[in-house]
Amino acid sequence: MDLNTFLMVFAISACIYMACNIGANDVANAMGTSVGSGSLTFKQAIYVAAIAEFAGAYFVGGHVSDTIRKGMLDPSIFEDAPLHLVYGMIAALVAAALWLNIASYLGWPVSTTHSIVGAVVGFGIMAGGLDAINWSKLWAVVMSWVVSPVMGGLVAFLLFKFLTDQVFRRRNPLLYAKRILPFMIFLVCVILANAMFYKGLKNLHLDFSFVQAIVYSIVFGIIGFLISRPLAKRIPDVPKENIHNQLEATENIFKYLQITTAFYIAFAHGSNDVANAVGPLAAVVSILKSGTVAMKVAMPPWILALGGGFIVLGLLIWGRRVMETIGKKITEITPSRGFCATFSGATVVLICSKMGLPVSTTHTLVGSVIGVGLARGLPTLNLGIVKEIMISWVATVPFTAFLAAILFKVMVLAFG
Amino acid sequence: MRTILSMFAKSPFKPLVSHIDKVNECVNQIKPLFDAFLSSDYEKVESIAKEISKVEHKADKIKDDIRQHLPQSIFLPVDKRDFMHLLSAQDDIADAVEDLAVLMRIKNINIPDALSQPLIELVDYVVTLANDACGMIRELEDLLEASFGGAEAEKVEKMASDLGIAEYEADKMQFLLAKRLFSLNDLSAADLFLLNELIKKLGGVADQSEKIGKTLRVFISR
Repeated sequence: MDLNTFLMVFAISACIYMACNIGANDVANAMGTSVGSGSLTFKQAIYVAAIAEFAGAYFVGGHVSDTIRKGMLDPSIFEDAPLHLVYGMIAALVAAALWLNIASYLGWPVSTTHSIVGAVVGFGIMAGGLDAINWSKLWAVVMSWVVSPVMGGLVAFLLFKFLTDQVFRRRNPLLYAKRILPFMIFLVCVILANAMFYKGLKNLHLDFSFVQAIVYSIVFGIIGFLISRPLAKRIPDVPKENIHNQLEATENIFKYLQITTAFYIAFAHGSNDVANAVGPLAAVVSILKSGTVAMKVAMPPWILALGGGFIVLGLLIWGRRVMETIGKKITEITPSRGFCATFSGATVVLICSKMGLPVSTTHTLVGSVIGVGLARGLPTLNLGIVKEIMISWVATVPFTAFLAAILFKVMVLAFG
Repeated sequence: MRTILSMFAKSPFKPLVSHIDKVNECVNQIKPLFDAFLSSDYEKVESIAKEISKVEHKADKIKDDIRQHLPQSIFLPVDKRDFMHLLSAQDDIADAVEDLAVLMRIKNINIPDALSQPLIELVDYVVTLANDACGMIRELEDLLEASFGGAEAEKVEKMASDLGIAEYEADKMQFLLAKRLFSLNDLSAADLFLLNELIKKLGGVADQSEKIGKTLRVFISR
């Protein structure tokens, strides 16, 4: 086997390993609130996640993948030895995946995104010193790591306050919930459709302009609205004197909304996190095929499909048990609160995906849940998690950077 | 990587309702206690007192459990101090019932007829009041769900306001009963003292019950 084939196989294996890790660990957090609140059974969550993760990865995963593939390093430092960039990307994948395994064994809440970014930066510095890094892009990425949980929290806070005002504080919350349902469905449909239509369907050779994308998305949203409105009206009324039953029925309406947002967040997660496995592989494929470090080719769809597929596989084989555990234990979250947290988290992540910013879906979701809690939506909220997350931030990037740098050096020495 | 899991701690509101159930059990022993005391069945007084002690102890265990599971890092949708005040008010009701039983065990007293009818009326009134207060706590789940607003908050507000009025009436009844007590001429000093203590304790149960209503009102207003 010649070196190129070996490297290709190595890279693909490392990518598959990373993708399975992502599916096994990350997805459960995204779907957890939907299962815990009773909106989806554990089995239904698996189906929804499988379809949505793949769709998100395939249709919208390209932007973030490009950032990881070629956005963070200055490729010119590898011009004389393009294979070094290949070694580096493989080293990054291995380092990140190893860190994920160690961290999940120790039960630490680390982010797949932070791991791979740290690793890429690590080997970059080892290869070409500080000049090798595209510092402005990296700065934007690190900023997004702070901004995404905060925005998730802000949006969730405002959304829950809005729902409190418009639904829960009314004399007849069920009536208002039934009225609001189609509007929320409209919103989710428009955002999802726009994410796919605007710069998203290049894989199907469909490239819509901004205006076209908006128009088609609104059409899609209106369809969702028109379907959900009669369904909402059909839900039986409860006399408004029976406050307890009214509140229960209101929560049942939010179950339908949570099913939608479960799909939404799995889609957003796939769109953002597939890059963590696939970005490096795409770089390797590019270089081995063209022999140069200039990566002018668009992200090959088969790579996105590979990543998406193995995320789903990781979820199906290893992730189900984690999802089951989480779902069984989170019983204090009701569908309305879960909807707010999930919708906010998914929206922030998806926007970041469109902007090509790799963010942590889990941390964004944590921010969203905190937002709901601060809006008085949850009976308890353990803020200790914030400290744990900050510690994991500080630990992850240096560790993966260091490990990737070492592995890179080893490969350079071994393969030349 | 069960990150999302660790954000949701054990809710203290469910055990708070378990606690009030135990307090309610104690409250329901007040009437039998007084019936036994007034019919001079002192053995029965002893056995009921033992029962009250057992239930009060169980309530204390729940209370300690709640307090232990509320570290600094837990954020509640209500002010944590207000929550603790509520728990204390509930606990004080159970303690007051236990104190009533202790008082009755100090001395076997023959209650004068002039006193027994108004005393029974006060007992009935206070027991109903305390039961209503316990009922308010059971509204907490819906109150949380409605985010402390809407028709549910109005319902709880009304309950609190009714409780306040009832406590005012209980105060009046307690005062008239005390007047009658101190107008009696042929009571020993010990009997007088103990009976006065009993009446004050009954009033205390009413006061603590009203406190529950007041604290829930604070939850809603903040």
